[in-house]
Amino acid sequence: MAVELETRSALLGVRCRACGELQSMDERYVCATCLGPIEPEYDTAALRDGLRERIEAGPRSLWRYASLLPLAVPDAPPIGWTPFVPAPRLGAALGVPDLWLKDDTRNPTLSFKDRPVALAIARARQLGLRIVGCASTGNLAGAVAAAAAQAGLRAFVFVPAETEAGKVVSATAYGATVVRVNGDYDAVNRLCGTLADDLGWGFVNFNLRPYYAEGSKTILFEIAEQNAWRLPDHVVVPVGSGALLTRTATAAAQLIATGLVADTPFHISAAQPARCAPVSDAVLDDWRRVRPVRRPVTLARSLAIGAPADGDGAVEVVRRTGGSAASVSDAAIRDGQALLARTEGVLVEPAGGVVVATAQELAGRGVFGPNERVVLYLTGNGYKQPDAFGLELRAAIPADADAFSETYADVIG
Amino acid sequence: MSTIRLPASLRFTIAGEKTVPITAPTLAELVPAIAAAYPGLADRVISSGAFGDFVTVFVDGEDVRFLEPAAPIPATAVIEILPAMSGGR
Repeated sequence: MAVELETRSALLGVRCRACGELQSMDERYVCATCLGPIEPEYDTAALRDGLRERIEAGPRSLWRYASLLPLAVPDAPPIGWTPFVPAPRLGAALGVPDLWLKDDTRNPTLSFKDRPVALAIARARQLGLRIVGCASTGNLAGAVAAAAAQAGLRAFVFVPAETEAGKVVSATAYGATVVRVNGDYDAVNRLCGTLADDLGWGFVNFNLRPYYAEGSKTILFEIAEQNAWRLPDHVVVPVGSGALLTRTATAAAQLIATGLVADTPFHISAAQPARCAPVSDAVLDDWRRVRPVRRPVTLARSLAIGAPADGDGAVEVVRRTGGSAASVSDAAIRDGQALLARTEGVLVEPAGGVVVATAQELAGRGVFGPNERVVLYLTGNGYKQPDAFGLELRAAIPADADAFSETYADVIG
Repeated sequence: MSTIRLPASLRFTIAGEKTVPITAPTLAELVPAIAAAYPGLADRVISSGAFGDFVTVFVDGEDVRFLEPAAPIPATAVIEILPAMSGGR
């Protein structure tokens, strides 16, 4: 049964990013005219009065930004409002004096995926769907499974067979059916696209995608508010599908249009692993469109999307905002994870290592201005994929002080 | 004869059918074959003589962007046309 959820009065409809047509908000998930991607559009002028006060009086979760989201969910669990913290020790190591972290590893299922899923599940409830699903490389599986459990929906999550067990077992614990598929993420995604139509289920990153992607805006909404209602100068964003990066630009435009922040220079840079870098390659090699990567293999499996849906849009945003991009090696990713852990006490999955390594490369290339406030998006928790650190413990010692001093002499110094 | 399989959002172009037959021995011949046999579908998925930016086409599960124009399309092949959307993790 459909649940009555308030559709926002400022929601004008959905606009196609390809042909520009404004259409009504119904069950469509692509443009009815050209099949292009659609995005909700808001009457930002009507929202201006009292918006900041409404937000600041709201819950300490992403739902405080309900005015700029397509749905309001009064009984939703708290998601988002994650720490925004300075990173002076990492900044000193990277040569970026005003470096900050948006630590989205602290969401309920330990990744930023809880944000888009919150919107997609709300939409599924509004449509009266009973079963939801997703194609995932791991993080999304847990997020969908948990949100479905909380909403009383059944969930099926489809993952590449090689997905690390740590990211999948949690989905099982939440009661979802985990379907392991032989093939890469893009093959899994193709299967889900077919099933969404055949079964009438709600796949969060397919037929619920226009709502799903809206959740990604809330990271920048929070950063702006936590940064005293100012945009930072530069953000470094990990890129898988490209939706987080493109919706960061959408969020900035909405913050400016509603008068929540001033229209100051705001640069968005893309971070990708070298072995799956269609967006970064397009930016750095000046291609207009991304060239898909066939069967990508990278340590940063959560970014292993060879044919990114929002790839072309991400390239355009990086160029338009004067950002840059980097593609970093597996070794640099591991080093980035370790550096972040050892300087700031934040453990991230390899995608976070990609962001740190990208920031290091961009700093080395002089991309950041000397006084720029730079923010790193940390989107997934390292506790989910501890094997990625490649670390081993030393052999056990007897409970003996001399044995300790002898065995650990190199560390004690 | 190969089979084209369409998502719900495109079925209105072929009278609501989920699948339709197509004869195209190679990938290069697929676009003109669709244009000739199913002009309503072609209007939506073909632009300037090629598949448009917002569809992804698979021949037996293989993204056509990774295939050469001369790649054969077996008579038993299933050709899937999907809106170009993905993304998750």
